[in-house]
Amino acid sequence: MKKYMKLILIITFVIALTANTSPVDAQDKLQKNPGGYHGEMDFPISWKRYYNYAEWTDIMHKLQKQYSHLADIESIGKSRMGRDQFLLTITAKSTGDHSEKSAMWVDGAIHGNEVNGIMCSLYLAWYLLTRYDYDQYVHDMVNNHTFYILPGLNVDANESFVAYPNTPHNPREPYRPEDNDGDGLYDEDQTEDVDGDGELSIMYMEDPMGEYKLSHDKRRFVPVDDPGETVLRFRRIGSEGFDNDGDGRINEDDIGGPDPNRNFPYGWNLQAGWPYPMSEPECRNVYEFQRTHSNIFASFHYHNTGRLIMFQAPPPDRSVNMNAEQRRQYRERIDNQRAELQKTNKYAQLYDRIVSEDYQMDMDVQTAIVTGGARILKNYRPVIGGLSGQAHAGTYYMLGVYSYLMELWGSPAFEADQDGDGRVTDEEYVIWCDTELTGEGWIDPHIIDHPDLGKIWIGGTRKKHTQRTPPARYIEMETLKNAQFVMYCVSEFPKVEIDEVKVTPATDDLYWIDVSVKNDRIYPTSSDRAVQLKIAVKDKIVFGSSGNISQLEITDGKSQIDPGNFHSTALSAGSKETEFRLKSKDKQWIRYLVKMDGSSGWVEFSVESKYGGKASKRINLSVSN
Amino acid sequence: MKQFKPVYGLYFLIAVFLIFGAAPSSIAQKVPISFEEYHGYDGTVKYLKSVSSAYKNITELLEIGKSTNGRTIYVLVITNMAKGTTIDRHVNLRNNRRENVQNVTPMKKYHGKPGHWIDGGTHGNEYTGTEVCLYSIDKLVSGYGNDPELTRLIDDNVFYICPIVNPDGVYNSVERGLSQRQNSMDVDDDKDGRINEDGPDDLNGDGHITQFRYKNPEGRYVLDEDDPRVMIRLGRDEETDKERYSVIREDKDNDNDGKRGEDSERGIDLNRNYPEGWFNDENEKSGSGYYATSAPETRTIVEFFTNNTNIYMVQSFHTSGGFTFRPFARWPDSKIDAKDLAIYDKVMGKKYLELLGEEIPAAWLGEGSNAPGQERAIPARMRRTSQSGPQQTNRQVARRTGQSSTQPRGWRHPYNDQRGRPYGYGIFMDWAFAQFGAYSMSTELWNQAKDLEGIPDVTGENARNEVAKAVLKYQDDHYNGELFIPWQKYTHPELGEGEIGGWIPQYRGNAWPGEPLRKVCDLHWNFELFKAGLLPKVEITEANAEVLYNSSSASEATATVDGDNVNIKKGRSTGDYKIVEVTATIENNGKLQTHVAGGERLAGNRQDAVWLIGDRDKITYLSGTPFMKLGVLDGTMEIPGISRQTEATQVRQPRRRMRMPMGMPVYMMRMFQQQRGNDLNQVTRKGNKAEVKWLIAVEDNTPIKVVVTSQKGGTQVKELSYSNSGRR
Repeated sequence: MKKYMKLILIITFVIALTANTSPVDAQDKLQKNPGGYHGEMDFPISWKRYYNYAEWTDIMHKLQKQYSHLADIESIGKSRMGRDQFLLTITAKSTGDHSEKSAMWVDGAIHGNEVNGIMCSLYLAWYLLTRYDYDQYVHDMVNNHTFYILPGLNVDANESFVAYPNTPHNPREPYRPEDNDGDGLYDEDQTEDVDGDGELSIMYMEDPMGEYKLSHDKRRFVPVDDPGETVLRFRRIGSEGFDNDGDGRINEDDIGGPDPNRNFPYGWNLQAGWPYPMSEPECRNVYEFQRTHSNIFASFHYHNTGRLIMFQAPPPDRSVNMNAEQRRQYRERIDNQRAELQKTNKYAQLYDRIVSEDYQMDMDVQTAIVTGGARILKNYRPVIGGLSGQAHAGTYYMLGVYSYLMELWGSPAFEADQDGDGRVTDEEYVIWCDTELTGEGWIDPHIIDHPDLGKIWIGGTRKKHTQRTPPARYIEMETLKNAQFVMYCVSEFPKVEIDEVKVTPATDDLYWIDVSVKNDRIYPTSSDRAVQLKIAVKDKIVFGSSGNISQLEITDGKSQIDPGNFHSTALSAGSKETEFRLKSKDKQWIRYLVKMDGSSGWVEFSVESKYGGKASKRINLSVSN
Repeated sequence: MKQFKPVYGLYFLIAVFLIFGAAPSSIAQKVPISFEEYHGYDGTVKYLKSVSSAYKNITELLEIGKSTNGRTIYVLVITNMAKGTTIDRHVNLRNNRRENVQNVTPMKKYHGKPGHWIDGGTHGNEYTGTEVCLYSIDKLVSGYGNDPELTRLIDDNVFYICPIVNPDGVYNSVERGLSQRQNSMDVDDDKDGRINEDGPDDLNGDGHITQFRYKNPEGRYVLDEDDPRVMIRLGRDEETDKERYSVIREDKDNDNDGKRGEDSERGIDLNRNYPEGWFNDENEKSGSGYYATSAPETRTIVEFFTNNTNIYMVQSFHTSGGFTFRPFARWPDSKIDAKDLAIYDKVMGKKYLELLGEEIPAAWLGEGSNAPGQERAIPARMRRTSQSGPQQTNRQVARRTGQSSTQPRGWRHPYNDQRGRPYGYGIFMDWAFAQFGAYSMSTELWNQAKDLEGIPDVTGENARNEVAKAVLKYQDDHYNGELFIPWQKYTHPELGEGEIGGWIPQYRGNAWPGEPLRKVCDLHWNFELFKAGLLPKVEITEANAEVLYNSSSASEATATVDGDNVNIKKGRSTGDYKIVEVTATIENNGKLQTHVAGGERLAGNRQDAVWLIGDRDKITYLSGTPFMKLGVLDGTMEIPGISRQTEATQVRQPRRRMRMPMGMPVYMMRMFQQQRGNDLNQVTRKGNKAEVKWLIAVEDNTPIKVVVTSQKGGTQVKELSYSNSGRR
């Protein structure tokens, strides 16, 4: 009479060998006091000014030199005018090669004038490196993940914007020559600093029929409000510059070609992204790097301005047809649901985009991530990003990488709007410049002799770094919280773990072994988009055992562990390697049937995920009567 | 006497060469060329270099990019290098930005001439096109100065000839005999950690990679009874009592992974890597490559076009079939404007069918069924083919354009009308037409059955086999059987007993060297010559500067209106001046208009424009501006079925974009809008002619000139002298 029904099974959990959490070097400098020193003076740098190309690339080189165990520097290619596009690769070299760890891509200032992005991405690099020894959170993150940081993408225009007089809006594009005015000449009529004050403002001409007059404080040009008014009147000429080509127009063919953020391959179209996808070396170098580094899991792109988190959402489900009324009702329902959610969490987000079942998880993941972002960044608004050749469209739609476009800063509109009407008038700006910027930042109207126009007036506008890009004193205000949002995203990168192992005697010397693997993070081990593109790499569990234990062949597929419980389905593993996919905050049971000869032995389960890392667990089995 | 022998021999060789090798040769042929063998990549480069150094005054050899394996992609520019001008030579810039970025390179003289592009070898194994390019080069350079029509074409236009778009593919196909359609790429196709380690092999070491046939009960081939060299392919479920064979490329498993030829140099099909229609409707990738223009070869071509926007004719030579494709491959004809369709079919297609000796559809011969003015212009949004828009069926198009939707054999579009299915995504011809704005086409050269004389014109079940045998026989008779290697026993390391033999791959799909190749070249050279004759030619046919008034004291004056009174306030005197009326007549005396329909609206393109240029400090523009737009000038040719413009139109000049000041009162806004809406009537255009006028105040006798600059119609300058006609 066999007594297997009475067998007592002793299971010993021996090893929990998870690759992701083993501090390699002792952290002597670990700082647990929030009021204590966190390493910022180990590499002193001012975050209260803008740097030109020579300066910020020099900072990159020096950072790499000082933290060479954590950082590498390389040029991913050259711009049209031959400047190197330098990239910092940050990860603890002692814990493995950068290419083996799931990675975050961060770039800034694809639009030449949006140099706030250079500061933000540079700050992130500095924050990670200086805090590595002091901050447990940063320490673990730099051990387990890779950051690819390209502070300035559009380096030619970046340099021009910082180092030369410019309006807040130019130069934006890479320097491909373009004939904007159709006269057959290329980039022949650019902006110039006519009065030599280092700023580009607006030119006005005295004109008895003009629409403008000086304001009472003589600091602004304001519309004439009474036709009979007898005041000195002005006509607006436009932004400061000369008529270089003598065609009677000024600044009508400024430097630069296509919008670089319409030059990426997904949703590219000729009119916006001329002349062809990836025509600009600055963009192509970035995309080629991303394409050939498949460990990149998410991607950040810094822009100015508007305080937006633009995230790349999955495509709308085209099979859903709603008429206008249905759509209105649907939106209303979503608005109500969001309002309900925001009663308990004012940062909660919910979107009215209907996506197919294949993409629902990506939609949910992005909603959850930007909810976290809204909390960290406070006054930033998460919105769905566009689909016509933007960098983030390319990364998500063509590479399956979660992507975000950050519109940094928000002009001082939030601060300067005195009367709370949601608009900032010139008058309010003057007050803002005088108060917050203590007099810095406003160009008063002044007279100058113009070689093409004669006597003109210039002024009545703000200076360069008071609009799209924040004044120097506010730079760090943006950089810190944006670095925190990037790190928050990385902290939610997938991580596979072996959760539980259950052993159930089946019959005689056969045992069911049920293993659960989980990913507690918001991000899944592969995006829905990667699955749709058929480039997703599945997670995998490998069975190993002592010689006396053998795995029995059972049909691969789904089975139910507990017949009474619907939710207890498991993958039946009939072979050594079983593939699965862990979604966002997901758990998966895998069921094995094993045969053990003798009274003791061990089984080992190793999990491997392209982005979720590795984990393994060994179980000792011993049988006694 | 002995020592003179070699000299005689040399004379003899030259004589033979002149009579037979390069017939019909001309006295001006400084660089002899023969079509007795393919040139391949190396031969082509050598020829291009020789030509460019022998004809320095009419050629320039450009290195426009590199292939994956580092081979240079060349373009031979053929034009009268001394002739031509560009707008940047005439406009003096001043007070430039201090930063002084040098991102604009000065234009070459030929950028001011209409451009005609001819390429070959996009697909590496389709090098008949390379030969047609070389043949055309020879005709152009040796005809210059001898043939008046050719001389005119080379003076007025620029030919860009790129015999090999895909150097690695052509090199591997011709020099190495590997037959490689695609470009080369360093990709680990089988993901075994090694790159390009298992391509095809010359198993028997005879210098050719042919075929291996072996007996196999599962095989799909049997031997022909009359000529056992010929393999007959069976239908899917066809029964036979003959011995079955399998036929594979001469190849073995080089990396012992159980697969043959799974990791060769072969990359992507370059003619699916262009930006037009690279995505399909579901926005999933459909072209080749990682993204449109991801291949270095493709990017090189597109970048070159971007910097040579004067290109207007685009011919791409492929092999084989013996017909020409015009756009689109991706879209139905509803995406093509009626005028472009007529130019393609009723002008170019008609000529091509004539050259082929094929029947021309009746609808193309007359004026078409359209009464003047009846054709409907295609909406702009439909021309923007990168986005999906409303599509008409081809039956609707046929109704609109009055032409039948059945296509002649020799001239067609690749899009499948019957199934409403694209032929391919990301095709060069489509891109060059839809996004670049050139009349592009793609010719499949060479049709064995038609181009070799005496091949029976058979139809029916056995036609394929009959033709195959006849072609093999032709080869026996005319080429001493040197193009086909007889099957010889060989023991394959993996497949065992069998035979190696078959067509030498170089001769399998391409026009055979010698007479057949020369015939193909000559026919298509004639077609290029015809198309070059259609190019626009924008000229200033008349320009006058008529002095209306002379004065010794020019004044700046202002006038203000105060009720019924006008108060004039005179300013300071500025010296001698003339009030001059400048008029210019601009004509396009070329056959075609200066843009494809709507081409001027494509990003990167522009309307024809005219400048009046002089010393800026001495000229005041009283009416008209220094630079004005002319719109698109028609050509001289009547396009069958398309009515010509009968009414003269005023060409709208670009308005100043002015920003409305914030908080502007309503009455001010109206005033503002009135100022903005001030249309000028300086330019009048009718058909191929534009009349332009300016009124200027000129100090002293400062010289002035009119420069007309048409992107695809050429740039021309005319210096003016002041005349006092006494008209006023």
